[in-house]
Amino acid sequence: MEHSAVVLQRLCMHAQQFTSFVSIEPPNALLLEIKGSLKLLGPLERLHADIDACWRRLALPAHSATAPSALAALWFARADQPVQIEDIAALPGHLAGLPIVCTGWDIERLQTLRAMGVARMGELLRLPRAGLARRVGTATVQDLDIALGRQFAPRRAFVPRERFRARCDFETEIENVAYLEKALEPLIAACAQFLRERQAGVQAMRLKLRHRAKPATCVHFGLASITSERRRLTDVLAQKLGRLELAAPVRGMELISGSLQPLAAGSRDAFAGSAGTGGGAGCGCDGVPQLVERLRARLGEDAVYGVIAIPEHRPEAAWRRVHELPLTSVWRGGEKRVDQSAGHGLPRPVWLLDAPLPLPELELELQRHQIGLILEEGPERIESGWWDGKGVARDYYIARQTPGVHRAPDPHPSRGADALQRTSAKLWVFQERRSKRWYLHGMFA
Amino acid sequence: MPREPASLADVLADARVWKLKDASAAPTRPVWSTGKRALDARLPGGGWPTASLIEVLLDDTGMGEVQLFLPALVECQRRIGQGRTEEGPWLVWIAPPYEPYAPALAQQGIELGRLLIVRPASATEALWAAEQALSSGVCAAVLLWLKGTDDRWLRRLKLAAEASGALGVLFRPERHRFESSPASLRLAVSRGVHETRIDLLKVQGGRPGPVDLSSA
Repeated sequence: MEHSAVVLQRLCMHAQQFTSFVSIEPPNALLLEIKGSLKLLGPLERLHADIDACWRRLALPAHSATAPSALAALWFARADQPVQIEDIAALPGHLAGLPIVCTGWDIERLQTLRAMGVARMGELLRLPRAGLARRVGTATVQDLDIALGRQFAPRRAFVPRERFRARCDFETEIENVAYLEKALEPLIAACAQFLRERQAGVQAMRLKLRHRAKPATCVHFGLASITSERRRLTDVLAQKLGRLELAAPVRGMELISGSLQPLAAGSRDAFAGSAGTGGGAGCGCDGVPQLVERLRARLGEDAVYGVIAIPEHRPEAAWRRVHELPLTSVWRGGEKRVDQSAGHGLPRPVWLLDAPLPLPELELELQRHQIGLILEEGPERIESGWWDGKGVARDYYIARQTPGVHRAPDPHPSRGADALQRTSAKLWVFQERRSKRWYLHGMFA
Repeated sequence: MPREPASLADVLADARVWKLKDASAAPTRPVWSTGKRALDARLPGGGWPTASLIEVLLDDTGMGEVQLFLPALVECQRRIGQGRTEEGPWLVWIAPPYEPYAPALAQQGIELGRLLIVRPASATEALWAAEQALSSGVCAAVLLWLKGTDDRWLRRLKLAAEASGALGVLFRPERHRFESSPASLRLAVSRGVHETRIDLLKVQGGRPGPVDLSSA
């Protein structure tokens, strides 16, 4: 069944009425930790019957078994033996009758065991451990230990993916965005309440506008930081809606949250008022997430970013754009700047070209000994990156243009020859050491 | 935001009110050094005025035009970060012509974690973003690169800068030189024979004219 993962997740929700710890065992099993539930829902026979009844109600042909270890219970269920074992001492005796196929081991291991004349678990358990480990691997022995409860094997609990989802339908069709905003207010309020109850926030939301004849319009919007504040959600939605052209009158809408994420401590509304008294270092930054959100809502997610410096010798690899800004971090005045690349000898240019621009004329001039560029500082040899296939071997210079020869790549190509006459642009050029070619890489703006 | 002025002193303290009489006196608003002594000497108060819009006219890059502002940006990040927390120490660069090179900025002392780069799709969006950033009250300085704009937008930017106390810097092509501009400080940057030439076109409370950088 290709959707087994989805089905299992849905079944987990049902199983969670019996215990808080449900774990998925792909491809087709669920493991429920019920020891803790016995006091409330027990005794064991009744709980087991209740769980079975739950699967029957769902019209699911399920096998179940209870054992002191999760792996043993799984094996019993696979072998369709609805046992209910509470005593760990009785476990090996019950296990002995099971065929080895129910362990779900790979086919080679099972064939090896069959060739040894082992068909049932009992025969397997009787074999000496050391010999068994040598013949079929230590994983087998370990599985046996886990099944017998001699070794503890932690499992990952199923955590439901919760979303906020609320819809409202209009009695009349709405054509005006301003009315939509008004109608959204209760939905946003409900969403904020939902998030606050769960101590969670969202970083993305989706608004679906349904029309009568046309397919629904979907509006995605992102937030600069995880939030549960109503004001910020309203703010960003209003920005998005303000730029929206309605394709058709709206009959109804649905607000759907992205996945819930835990809120960072201290970012709650309740403490916003007291921030001024406690040092006050953070209160100056209150508006930055909002500013970033507003800019992103109108200009697009990728249009607003930060940059970081990376300690790396290759100039093009020494920086990177970052879209997750450290918006919530508090600026500390005395903190040492860790991202300062102190190791560089020569100054770096403020502008870096996306790709180095070849300077073919310069090569010709160097051949004719007519140098159009004065190399003021350098060379700074950068030879790095041979290990990842993007190696560079370059000699960098800080150069200044001399009259009438070169100029920086012109952002305004419409202007005429007079630009050629201007001088003294400070450029960052390099010579590729293997090909001896010259390139322009940056400008000292 | 319209608000009732309490007294005449309040009105006079407002950055939007330009006092002709004592314009030559040092302004009470903080100024940030340009890093060039010859230029500082020509500016009232001895540096770039905050809470104002500065217009830089230039046609090419690579003339050290950003360098004129980097010392001020470093200082405002540092100073505001330590003391006055009502203004955030953020810097916003809107539509820079090339990719700002992070190692160079770090080398100069810019706090990269407090630098935001915005790439709007059009000039109108750039102006809108600049106004948002200036009036948000969390930015110490907003640098904006534009090809062209109209007077009305510049006035809005100037008001936003004056209301929030931030430093607004606008870079535009030199062809706008002879247009009127509400900026409180206008300068043209061009290439001289040996080094960059700076012409002060308009200085509120100062004297316009070329700046001799070689004497510094």
